[in-house]
Amino acid sequence: MIEVKGLTVAYGGLTALDQISLTVNPGEIRGIIGPNGAGKTTLLNMISGISPPSSGDVLLDGQSILGWKPSKIANHGVKRTFQSSLLFKGMTVLENVMTGLHGRSQASPIAAALGLPSVWRDEREATHLAQSTLEFVGMSQFAERDGGELSFGQQRIIEIARALVSEPRVLLLDEPAVGLSINRVAELDTLLRRIRDERGVTIIMIEHVLRLVMNVCDRITVLSSGKKLAEGSADEIIANSDVVEAYLGRALDANR
Amino acid sequence: MLPYLLTSGLTSGALYALVAIGLVVVYRSTGHINFAHGEFFMIGGFFAYSMITMLGFPYLLSLVLAVPLSFCLGAVCDRAVFRPLMKAPGTTIVLATVGLSYLLKGVGRYVWGGKGEYISIKSIVDPAPFLVWGMPVLPQQLIVFGAAMLCMLGFFAFFRWTIAGKMMQATAESAFASYLAGIRVERVYTLTWGVGAAVAGVAAVLMAPLTLLTPDIGSGLLIKAFAATILGGLGSMSGALVGGLLVGLCESLIGGYIDSSLQEVAAFIIIMIVLVFRPSGLFGAYGVRRA
Amino acid sequence: MTIIKFITPRSLGLVVFGVLAVLPAFANNYWLFVGNLTLVYIVLTVGLNLLIGYSGLLAFMNGILFGVGAYATAIFRVDFSLSYGLAIPLAAVFTMVIGVIVALPALRLSGLYLALATVAFAQFILWVLLHWDQVTRGPSGIQVPPVNYAPLTDTFENGHYYLTLVVAFIIVWLTVNLLRSHYGRAFVAVRESEVAAESIGIDLTRYKTLAYAVSALYAGLAGGLFAPLLGIVVPESFDLSQVIVQFAMVTVGGLGSIAGSVIGAIGLVWLQESLRAFKELQEVAFGGMILLTILFFPGGVSAMLKKWLPSWREPLRRRLLDHHEHD
Repeated sequence: MIEVKGLTVAYGGLTALDQISLTVNPGEIRGIIGPNGAGKTTLLNMISGISPPSSGDVLLDGQSILGWKPSKIANHGVKRTFQSSLLFKGMTVLENVMTGLHGRSQASPIAAALGLPSVWRDEREATHLAQSTLEFVGMSQFAERDGGELSFGQQRIIEIARALVSEPRVLLLDEPAVGLSINRVAELDTLLRRIRDERGVTIIMIEHVLRLVMNVCDRITVLSSGKKLAEGSADEIIANSDVVEAYLGRALDANR
Repeated sequence: MLPYLLTSGLTSGALYALVAIGLVVVYRSTGHINFAHGEFFMIGGFFAYSMITMLGFPYLLSLVLAVPLSFCLGAVCDRAVFRPLMKAPGTTIVLATVGLSYLLKGVGRYVWGGKGEYISIKSIVDPAPFLVWGMPVLPQQLIVFGAAMLCMLGFFAFFRWTIAGKMMQATAESAFASYLAGIRVERVYTLTWGVGAAVAGVAAVLMAPLTLLTPDIGSGLLIKAFAATILGGLGSMSGALVGGLLVGLCESLIGGYIDSSLQEVAAFIIIMIVLVFRPSGLFGAYGVRRA
Repeated sequence: MTIIKFITPRSLGLVVFGVLAVLPAFANNYWLFVGNLTLVYIVLTVGLNLLIGYSGLLAFMNGILFGVGAYATAIFRVDFSLSYGLAIPLAAVFTMVIGVIVALPALRLSGLYLALATVAFAQFILWVLLHWDQVTRGPSGIQVPPVNYAPLTDTFENGHYYLTLVVAFIIVWLTVNLLRSHYGRAFVAVRESEVAAESIGIDLTRYKTLAYAVSALYAGLAGGLFAPLLGIVVPESFDLSQVIVQFAMVTVGGLGSIAGSVIGAIGLVWLQESLRAFKELQEVAFGGMILLTILFFPGGVSAMLKKWLPSWREPLRRRLLDHHEHD
């Protein structure tokens, strides 16, 4: 469903991604791991359209989305979250999630200004959808709080809800477990599975919390220094000595 | 005609450069542009006016005293306005300094009257113009030009070689990191605002014998200083100097060759063109923290 | 004390407009003029708030676009002999077009650069108004005749007042509706984080342009209503101090609060008129109010109302200062 072909990102003498190719199938939960600076966020940025690659292609359902504006990609069902959580302040949590439904309402500004019934219907529908999505992620008690008031971990979960409310086909998650306590990570594990099982969403997630990745991901892609180091199931990855070395360095070998 | 346009352009450009340098010093250190900078200029000039006309101080003494007086003005404004807002978003600071400029303009008008004032000075140098390339140049204009160059060189050395200067650069890069390094960031900011205001005040006193000093003079000059810094590249001291001279030259040449009323508008057009086509200016934006 | 429970933005708005509606019954011509001016400023500040408060676009053009609207109306009325009924809407649309044209390059700029560019633009247009003698009559401006409101009412003052009242009311109502819809959320999203907004499908270009267009439309409309009120359009009515006055109204009222804009407009027009004789005090007062509000009452009057009135709920406000904010 999401296909990346020969993606290379180079700027100013630095090669962030070098000929990366991968394919994520519908309904898969794919983990992207690797040491810092491996290019994981860059990869996600390429898929979500934030900046263009130097060469290569990104395909959604066989169609190239290269050069598409991030908002266009988002409106085609690919939503993402960010490492430094970005809930909108000055809005309640519920309104934040409702904003995720942005592409839905077709009303023109004039219709909205006139307060036409169709606009109010859209609003009611949006409110319900947002409420049910907040329940789905277990955060409905915070619906009326201001977006900026919650803790970092809570904001991260609500950000997922905001991405989820529009029933996307693909979710790109950038380190969803950052800032979460161990209990919450377990809850996140369950949530991710439910998102995949109950809502049929394909998930691509960057993550450092290896336990989560090993548990929940169907397949894992390992990046290091911009290159794809390995790809496979959790067991295959653990057994891969290159991966171990990339993460822990040779010193471990020397100590054995 | 050309030599005349060149000399007059360079001399007014030197003034713009001087004002711009004060603006850039504050920007370099705090990451913000002070929209009240023009009013620092205006009040500095009026301080000198009071000293010369009302207290009868000689011109040179007033020039020297303008420095600490303007410095204090800048420092007070820093403590009162900027310091409480250090963590505020950039747009808030712009709004606050805009409000400050309006306030100071009103204060200037109230204290010194709405009419324009000429500072008539018993000159320390022979006021007769002398010839440069066959065109008459007032000694005062050369002094302004010289002062601008001196300032620029002085600041260049200051930032390069003194500890205070390096601290100012550090705070511009990252206030947070500067805290960690033990730099008293608030103090640096106060110092910077004071220095910026002092430069503006000096520029005003230098310019005063040449032009009419009015409470409204600040806003016009501020825009020319903006044009100078943006043209030169926001944050670049040498850019401010070159930018100022270029703005002066452009104005002069446009006024002379195309239409004299276009002179006022040259600065605006420069700003708009640069920002739309090459926002980093001639020398590139230096360490732009917030834009 | 139970009355306090009933004070909501909506009820207060109705009371305010109600009072304004009956003002002509017991006001003399001067107060009618002030009231009329207030209504013009309400239209202006609501538009400016949408631009700065909701969308976070610090643009200094509103003052000059106000002037463009006024001049366009004058020219349509005097030079093209159009009736005011045509001239004012045309002028408003014309101003909106200018606003959009300026918006296009402005989209690339943000924060400080946007502020500087729009200041330069405003001064440039002011210069054009001063010097394009054939069209704008230069510094002496264009005299405009009053609007003929027969058969509705005999006096121009009353007629114009009611026209402006109706227009202001409609504008406020339309804007509140717009901001309550997903458009309002989109504007706030664009302000808070462009990257996140894009990631949920908000087209930045479209929404920023819309914000510029709406505020320009309102400014043009306000200008059109202002021209016959004053009887003359001169460049100096629209210089930088005009923008600063508008900023003060929006800031004191509360960025991101329509109710605040209305309150700010009323309060500061009153202040401006009281200090009319003392220009320097006007400047000190307005500059001081901006500073005082930013330093001590961020969020302006509407934030204070929110604190003290239990029923005062207004969505999507802006907080001027935010100590969690990371630039």
